[in-house]
Amino acid sequence: MSAVDLARLQFALTTSFHFLFVLLTLGLVTLLVVVQTRFTITGAPVHERMTRFWGRIYVINYALGIVTGVVMEFQFGLNWSGLGTFAGDVFGAPLALETLIAFFLESTFLGLWIFGWGRLNRWLHLSLLWLTALTAFASAFWIMAANGFLHHPVGHRLDGTVLRLDDFGALLTNPAFTSAMVHVVFASITAGGVFMTGVSAYHFIRRTPETDFFRRSLRLGVVTTALATPPLVAAGFAQFPVIARVQPGKGEAVPWIGAPLGFMILIGMALVVASWLTLPLLIRDAVIRLRFPLHLMVIGIPLPFAAAIFGWLFREIGRQPWLVQGLLRTEDAVSHVDASQILLSLIVFTSLFALLAVTDWVLIARAVRRGPDVTPAPVSPLVVTL
Amino acid sequence: MEALWLALLGTLTAGYFALAGFDYGTGLLLPFRRRDEALRRMTPFFLGNEVWLVAAVGVLFAAFPRLEGELLSGAHSTFTLLLAGLVLFMAAVQLRLWWWLVFAGALLVSAGWGLFLAHLLHAPWFVAPVMPVLFAVHGWVFQTRRWKLFPATAALCALPVPLAFGTIDVTGLMAHPDTLTLLAWVAVPVIPLVVVLQWSIVAISSR
Repeated sequence: MSAVDLARLQFALTTSFHFLFVLLTLGLVTLLVVVQTRFTITGAPVHERMTRFWGRIYVINYALGIVTGVVMEFQFGLNWSGLGTFAGDVFGAPLALETLIAFFLESTFLGLWIFGWGRLNRWLHLSLLWLTALTAFASAFWIMAANGFLHHPVGHRLDGTVLRLDDFGALLTNPAFTSAMVHVVFASITAGGVFMTGVSAYHFIRRTPETDFFRRSLRLGVVTTALATPPLVAAGFAQFPVIARVQPGKGEAVPWIGAPLGFMILIGMALVVASWLTLPLLIRDAVIRLRFPLHLMVIGIPLPFAAAIFGWLFREIGRQPWLVQGLLRTEDAVSHVDASQILLSLIVFTSLFALLAVTDWVLIARAVRRGPDVTPAPVSPLVVTL
Repeated sequence: MEALWLALLGTLTAGYFALAGFDYGTGLLLPFRRRDEALRRMTPFFLGNEVWLVAAVGVLFAAFPRLEGELLSGAHSTFTLLLAGLVLFMAAVQLRLWWWLVFAGALLVSAGWGLFLAHLLHAPWFVAPVMPVLFAVHGWVFQTRRWKLFPATAALCALPVPLAFGTIDVTGLMAHPDTLTLLAWVAVPVIPLVVVLQWSIVAISSR
């Protein structure tokens, strides 16, 4: 394989792993905001325990997800130095704004939320979670703005051999950004809803005594999924007219490009149908007494994650052979690095990221199995305080 | 504008290295200290440095777009080693299964920075151990609470890499003033805000 193929494969693998963490982070923080806001208003102990239990899982996922993000960011300079050289003035702006006003603040607010547990005023503590959630979505906003630019470069002028920033506002009203942004937001909320539903169903299958706790969690998960999936699918289809206008060749980039797209649409539709069929079954807990839907809910946990990867494959492979649509070819952007060096980093990062994903899964599974009420002993150093 | 962005990049990089001393230093000392206690002391600072690193690389990309790629891809394998160490360290601290994995991660990432320092200064590779040694000394000062020495060892960790950046001539490598002005409105107020918030984390957790 050539350097450019290896660099592409590495980017695809690391970004896919990274996005799995991102999806759960965004989904869970949204649900946490709902749960902790209810706790802060009502003061009910069950809501406090729900905040703690789901918060622990959220923190585990966040702390491991950060690591994948650090590698992601270095990768632009390591393997794709041609992108910075040519388009750094424009593409770099939303990327830097993401690190400065989103991630930098998000992590710090979250740190205060973790260590402020039980030590800060209840309302102040709640506002920290709101700020964490807002900056988390701001992070998605800037990253999608940067990504939208690659698909439909706007707001720039060519100055010799490099692009200069001409109209920053155009980056934010870019149709390749706005339509995809809405889609990603609802995809993450769906992932959070499906995850919460599946974990709660697992506890009903195991007949954990915590019925009130998981009954509330299951309801919240199902209702969230039912509310998020229709706009998710709608925002997905709304992108086709945009694609037809700005990337007319997208459907023919490779012969099999329709497969991931088809799988994603299928999963999206299935989740709409499943969540809306479940809604009436929430009455008098019919869904819990029927039992077999509980198994489907557990099996369904990976579906939104698989759909997200399929969606990204369609979006990004469909951009080839361009890195910046119509302006910079992928093969011209790769760093002047020996293929063997990229192969080394590909092997190292892919195996480490696979290990991180397994670690995340093991730690979350451990926290899930322990249930809400035990002391959160060695799960993660950050979680000890929760 | 040029001086402002050099100062911002220097501040972010120095912030990362000053805070990195807490955790990498603690990781390097694990074979010689009471491990549970050492890790517990480190906890409020854990991940505190990585946010500075991410912000520094973000600024490097946007404000110095024609430097970032050359700088990182020019030391490709060094960064593979360094980032592998960073991933291992952060995962191992969370997992708490094997303390030697925490140690190995800290050693890899700090040795990686040492190699990068040698690369920047065109110095021979055996300059590399200077970073692990500085981190370990700072970690020891932090763990044994020798607060009088603390500012000195923090500065010793923070300064080598930002100073080595000073040897680079950035003429023609920076972004256009339009991009720099836009970003300056954000970068300048955000840094003091994060300092205050991170300080609050430490203050709260020691209550």
